[in-house]
Amino acid sequence: MRVVLAEDLYLLREGLSQLLRAHGFEIAAAVESGPELSAALAEHRPDVAVVDVRLPPSYTDEGLRAAIEARRQVPGLPVLVLSQHVEQLYARELLADGSGGVGYLLKDRVLNADQFIDAVNRVASGGTVMDPDVIAKLLANRPAAGRIDQLTAREREVLALMAEGRSNAAISQRLFVSEGAVGKHTASIFTKLNLSVSDDDNRRVLAVLAYLNSLRSQA
Amino acid sequence: MKALAKGAGLFGLAVIGFLGSVLVIASFAPGFGLGMVFLLPAPILFARKAAGLARRYTLAWTGVSIATPYTPAPPPPVRQPDGWYRRDRQLYRKPWLPSMMANLDWLLGDNATWRDLAWMLLSPFTGGLIAVLPAALIGAGISMPFWLDQRWAGLLAGALTVLIGLFTAPYAVRVTARFNKRMLGGPLLRSDVDDPRAVAHPMREWFGRALVPVLKLAVLFLTSILGVLVFAATVAGLVLGYGLGLFFLVPMVLEDLRWLADWRRSSLAPWTGVSIPRPYRPFPEVPRSDDGLYRVGKNLYKTHRWAMFAQRALWLTKDPATWREVLWRGTDPIIGGLIAGVPVLLVGYGIWGFALPRVVQLLFDGHSGAWYGHVAGQAWPAVPVGLLLAWVGIALAPKALKLHGQWSKLLLGANTDAVLAQRVEQLTVSRAEASNASAAELRRIERDLHDGTQARLVALGLSLAAIERLMDTDPPAAKELIGKTREAAATALRELREVVRGVHPPVLAERGLVDAVRALALDSPVTARVSTTVTRRFPDPIEAAAYFAVAEALGNAARHAEAANVDISLDETDDLLRIVVRDDGHGGADPGRGSGLRGLARRLGIFDGTVAISSPPGGPTELTMEIPCASSLPRTSTS
Repeated sequence: MRVVLAEDLYLLREGLSQLLRAHGFEIAAAVESGPELSAALAEHRPDVAVVDVRLPPSYTDEGLRAAIEARRQVPGLPVLVLSQHVEQLYARELLADGSGGVGYLLKDRVLNADQFIDAVNRVASGGTVMDPDVIAKLLANRPAAGRIDQLTAREREVLALMAEGRSNAAISQRLFVSEGAVGKHTASIFTKLNLSVSDDDNRRVLAVLAYLNSLRSQA
Repeated sequence: MKALAKGAGLFGLAVIGFLGSVLVIASFAPGFGLGMVFLLPAPILFARKAAGLARRYTLAWTGVSIATPYTPAPPPPVRQPDGWYRRDRQLYRKPWLPSMMANLDWLLGDNATWRDLAWMLLSPFTGGLIAVLPAALIGAGISMPFWLDQRWAGLLAGALTVLIGLFTAPYAVRVTARFNKRMLGGPLLRSDVDDPRAVAHPMREWFGRALVPVLKLAVLFLTSILGVLVFAATVAGLVLGYGLGLFFLVPMVLEDLRWLADWRRSSLAPWTGVSIPRPYRPFPEVPRSDDGLYRVGKNLYKTHRWAMFAQRALWLTKDPATWREVLWRGTDPIIGGLIAGVPVLLVGYGIWGFALPRVVQLLFDGHSGAWYGHVAGQAWPAVPVGLLLAWVGIALAPKALKLHGQWSKLLLGANTDAVLAQRVEQLTVSRAEASNASAAELRRIERDLHDGTQARLVALGLSLAAIERLMDTDPPAAKELIGKTREAAATALRELREVVRGVHPPVLAERGLVDAVRALALDSPVTARVSTTVTRRFPDPIEAAAYFAVAEALGNAARHAEAANVDISLDETDDLLRIVVRDDGHGGADPGRGSGLRGLARRLGIFDGTVAISSPPGGPTELTMEIPCASSLPRTSTS
């Protein structure tokens, strides 16, 4: 699988390259600035891009903007965005086109190599991965909002894990329950949130996030 | 007919109130006069009963509800552990004396008490009287045919008068009810009293437009006359002070008589549309030298008291604004009085000197000499000339108001020196605050890094050393330790992120103020909407200050006001960044009490920004922050 990597810190760039190579990825390009990233994305059309939000020359949200622009030109281009801090604002912008294949993680998550590689793989295959911090903020700030209210504590846990892009199997492992029980929970969540059931991993995350987002924007 | 009965009832209430007030005032004589204060509470409580009666029946008869405006009664005195009752700095054996004194303070200190009394005294002759006027008209109308000479004319006039009485009865009742509400309902906002239908009436509007400037001028005219007394006192004080050596009189007359000018600047100037800032220099501190003496000018003083006196005298006499104001005290009665007086006199004399007496003479066929109602001995031009004069007065009034404001500003406003002196003072204060705040901020960051991140990195290094040692001897333990080390690294990162967010939020650096505020709104536990017309970036320090100010305001809305919705608007209007944060919480925020609001003002004060808060009890709370942002700021380093 071919990866374009954009990160301005040399050490971190090399570390990420090594980590990805060690897990069988091919580094098509490892760049250190926004313009280079745009060029590399256009040239290599990678299977997945791993992008730092803040890049030279402006050291603002150069990376994020380059990624969103690239996804505008190549819809569904899988992009995993890394940052030192997570903002719901950025998460919404990344999800705005609704075509999946998006990830948004804290750089800290790189420390757990297995989880990080798993996230890269899920993004590459069109899934959506949101950092638990983003999900936590979305859920925490609206404890009394509408239908979310009706969820049990367990269902909320499941919803949060679902929003991180995990499959029922992964959730069942995480919560130490059977996969069937998770299935029941998700079905119940969908009913309570008034969402039609779908097997598609990606759509279900998008639906959940769209629901949470709309909850905030409509009010 | 019903309105007539109600009117009679309202008048009856007024009469009862008046009789009550006679009793109350009679009982005040020994209470205040002979110091028998224990006689006071009972009659006041009785007066409240009479006022309460009026409130109840005004509501029952007219539907106008009147709030009960009294402050709550004080709690009974509490017995202290040592068995005494305490009030202020005095101890009592028994509770009744402190209790009575608390009651006295409560009753006499409540403005509502005095408004009640004023209503009782005045009502039968003013507001209450209006209620029975229609009935009186009807009575007069009925009796007219019997005492007028011409029977037919009398019948006609009588019938007309009765009709007018019947027609005006409901209005009279309403006027009285509103009078009662004004007097008995505590301090009111205008909007509580005026019903919007009446305000929209064009006739009333015209009257307001034409008469309000004249009335304002009349008040200004009266204050100008009052100025004669102030000026006389000033001259007396200066003559005695400098002439007879009674120096203590000088600062007294100079500063303590400033109230008239202050009043003109603060409350009357807004009428004229001319704003006049207070021009006096700020009172300088008295420095104390190492040997413990206070220094004022070239003199040293042993005691603080004398130093303060000398400083005050010096401060007053060296300030040109003082002498400009003294000049104003002398000239305003003449010039200000002339500007304000001419239109007022035109209107007053036109109506009451010419037109009205003539009308009265025509109606009642009386003769009141050749002065009233006559122009140069002729009767016929009285009405037209009178009305013409009044019209000229009304037409002149707005211009006279403006002119009066400019006149006030001429001597009461600040000249360049005073403006600069005030500016220097203001900048000194805000610079001190800014450097204190940033020093405190740096200390906090240092502590966070020292106790948090640094400590964690040390632990990380120790763990790595341990892993190095265990690697060969006990690989499973080493592996476990590696996991823990990774967690420690993650924690260190998380803490560091919090520190960074407190220093300069990353989203602010990446996106600028508007998006940073949007991010704040998204993270806020309340539903916050952001609307903006801002398109450009502002200098970094301004953005940071504005960001933290909004964060504070949002936090307050959620924490203190328990709001559910917040609207944040950011607008740039000619060289000004205006941020309005409006919530639907329960309001009642006190700008004097909250340290958060003071911090906010301090934060923005560095950039000459201002904070204004409007937070009536019950909400909504609206916080308006304005930061001038066009001026090219001196380069400020935030690193």
